[in-house]
Amino acid sequence: MKKVLLICSLIVLGTTLSFGQAKKPTLMVVPSDAWCIKNGYVMEFDNDGTTTKIPDYKKAMQENTDILLVISSINDMMAERGFPLKNLESAMKTLASNAAEDNMRSSKESGASVNESPIDALKKVAKADIIIQLTWTVNTTGPKKSITFILQGLDAYTDKQIAGANGTGAPSFSAEVPVLLKEAVTAHIDNFSASLQSHFDDMFANGREVIIRIQTWDSWDGDLESEDYGDDELGILIEDWMAENTVKGRFSTTDMTESMALFEQVRIPLFDERGRAQDARRFASGLRKWLKADPRLIESKLVMKGLGRATLILGEK
Amino acid sequence: MKTIINKVSILTLCFLAFSLVSNAQINKKKKANKDTENWRYEIECVGIGKPGTKVVRVWSYSKKATIAQTQSKKNAVHGLIFQGYAAGGQGCTAQKPLSNNPAVEQEKEDFFKDFFAEGGKYMKFVSMSGDNVPTVVKVGKEYKVGVVVVVMTDNLRKDLEAAGVVRGLSSGF
Repeated sequence: MKKVLLICSLIVLGTTLSFGQAKKPTLMVVPSDAWCIKNGYVMEFDNDGTTTKIPDYKKAMQENTDILLVISSINDMMAERGFPLKNLESAMKTLASNAAEDNMRSSKESGASVNESPIDALKKVAKADIIIQLTWTVNTTGPKKSITFILQGLDAYTDKQIAGANGTGAPSFSAEVPVLLKEAVTAHIDNFSASLQSHFDDMFANGREVIIRIQTWDSWDGDLESEDYGDDELGILIEDWMAENTVKGRFSTTDMTESMALFEQVRIPLFDERGRAQDARRFASGLRKWLKADPRLIESKLVMKGLGRATLILGEK
Repeated sequence: MKTIINKVSILTLCFLAFSLVSNAQINKKKKANKDTENWRYEIECVGIGKPGTKVVRVWSYSKKATIAQTQSKKNAVHGLIFQGYAAGGQGCTAQKPLSNNPAVEQEKEDFFKDFFAEGGKYMKFVSMSGDNVPTVVKVGKEYKVGVVVVVMTDNLRKDLEAAGVVRGLSSGF
């Protein structure tokens, strides 16, 4: 009897341990748009008559050794804290080599090439769940130099700043810019990681904050104001589902029309009812199943964007 | 006979002197610990050290300047765990405490009792700054002593994370 109990306990413990890890967000350090524009690392294109500048990370990494030093120092210090970051330069190289491989690949039997929709092509950019945006300026007062350093941790889906550290270092007559930059990283990384830690603590206590969008295919004959799916409008029924399935019923309905709905600050549990780690896609999948069930019988397509954003398009797959 | 008595007397005197000195040392340590138990100190940054360390000046209070000085290391480690410090000159940025839970000292009382015991584990994470001359200020009936120390914050944080006292960035993932 004791042996049976022991085995059962071990199985329960094993199951808990294997499902007890939340989905880990990826972090990547990138130079800010302001820094890229100031230093000329930009690509310009004409957007319907308006000149638009977007940062050229590849050029910045190839031509500026200071940016390499700063990113490398931050990566080192975060790895030291048990949280290794995605490396921007390596991510860009992998994208390029994957694209080359996809272009060359063909099926052995029919010679078919790999499927890529326009959306797939658009999504092929270096990305992370949390972007650490980096800006610095060298201040010169006579012979003295100092560095103003800004680190911002931005959630890629909610656009919120979730961590930050900034300040100006001590002026120096003799120190070179790389030395001042290294000092700035050393001085700011503790505060940055402390504010990131507060964000993670909040996430574990109140759930992951995500964005859920509802859209409709134009081929669908229903809409979100329809009362054919229950005792109230479909939009209200979806809101009720959100209230029942979010942590402490926390979410905001930012927009609601007959053809779309936008839910922001949606706090989803880190684990589903089976104890598995959950992200926005898995959470929205619950809503998709609820919409598909009797008496609603609404088919929908689920589209994800990283851990924190999911879109349901109602009407068909 | 007289020589034996003399020898015994000298030995007794030596023994008494030794006991008195030891008792004085023990009393001094007890007094120091008593002064530290109140955690009365101020902490400020004096510059940027090498990565993973913080260079701070700790102002400790006691009726005897030497006692305040001996408690500086303990106060510095305590300060970095529970208080942090404000921004200042020499490129110092404000530093948040390693623990963001203000109640952790009470919740993990047993751990911190051993950690901050005389000769406790805190000693591994702090050292006196090389060219350090303590600054002594008389405040009323007691002394306020400022000592510059170096705290190995990265190692300290790792130790606290391993002991489950503070959460690490990757814990839970």
